[in-house]
Amino acid sequence: MFRTIWSTVYGLLVDDGQLAIGALAALAVTWLLAAAGGDRTQQIVGWALLAMVLVLVVLNLYRAGLVARARVSSAQR
Amino acid sequence: MDPITLAIAATPSFVASAVEFVEATTIVLAVGVTRGWRAPLLGTVAATATLAVIIGTLGVAIVMVVPEHLLKGVVGALLLLFGLRWLRKAILRFAGIVALHDEELIYQRQLAELRAQGLQKNEFDWVGFLVAYKAVLLEGTEVAFIVIAFGAAGGTALTSAIAGAILAGILVIALGVALRKPLTMVPENWLKFGVGAMLCSFGVFWFAESLGMEWPGDALSIPLIVATFLAASWLAIRMLRVLLPQGARIEARNV
Repeated sequence: MFRTIWSTVYGLLVDDGQLAIGALAALAVTWLLAAAGGDRTQQIVGWALLAMVLVLVVLNLYRAGLVARARVSSAQR
Repeated sequence: MDPITLAIAATPSFVASAVEFVEATTIVLAVGVTRGWRAPLLGTVAATATLAVIIGTLGVAIVMVVPEHLLKGVVGALLLLFGLRWLRKAILRFAGIVALHDEELIYQRQLAELRAQGLQKNEFDWVGFLVAYKAVLLEGTEVAFIVIAFGAAGGTALTSAIAGAILAGILVIALGVALRKPLTMVPENWLKFGVGAMLCSFGVFWFAESLGMEWPGDALSIPLIVATFLAASWLAIRMLRVLLPQGARIEARNV
């Protein structure tokens, strides 16, 4: 059981580390926006978080695609 | 709550929990078929009891001690982290970069491993017990997590989430018992894709709400957020297929 928990935590923070760190950064920015901004800012923080997460996912997958393409081309050589 | 409203509200939890129950059922079936049913069934019962104790003590304590807005914030952040992981993996599978989750293959591998370990007569089968215990406890924890996610609003949302999860469990276990083989007909990657998008959406929703945001239409915003995640994911799949037009299937643990 401890090995399973360890592999889940490892997978989250290391295998998918960049995505997890990016998501944590997006959550922190959202929290700062809500804490520092006024009432109007507070009412848009959810949309800001959504936009940041979507950009993060697309960029992370684009990088994953580039890495996979590099592996395929080096394997074909 | 009338049955139709309950059915609609319970659907996300039903779908998400069904995926986890399928994975646990596959492993319990593999143990039962190779090593007999007594040990895996006892393992399943023990894991269910462990889960009930964990949820009953830890869950209730957390809900009673932690303030609601803080709980929503923490749950939202965790949902987003885990949801993103599911969504990313499902997208990479659809793009052909990671191999699709194959219940039949997992079942056959589990059968081979369990047969290789052998079984002595007149001894309790601790291997079968532990394999089933671990699988049910792990997948059960994920089901508990899903119920918390979809029921975090409390009241009817929690009732619907629990009802959806219980129904999924009954249905999947009944199918497993009736067929006595892995449930390969369940489109797992499609379900994980949808569940990943839903977990991310609920994560964004709860986290922003914990910071004091009032979403337009309250929970009615959730379908819009889910649709946005699905649209972005579909674009990401298209982008990956352009990057890798041959649909290369490679082991991609570190991509």
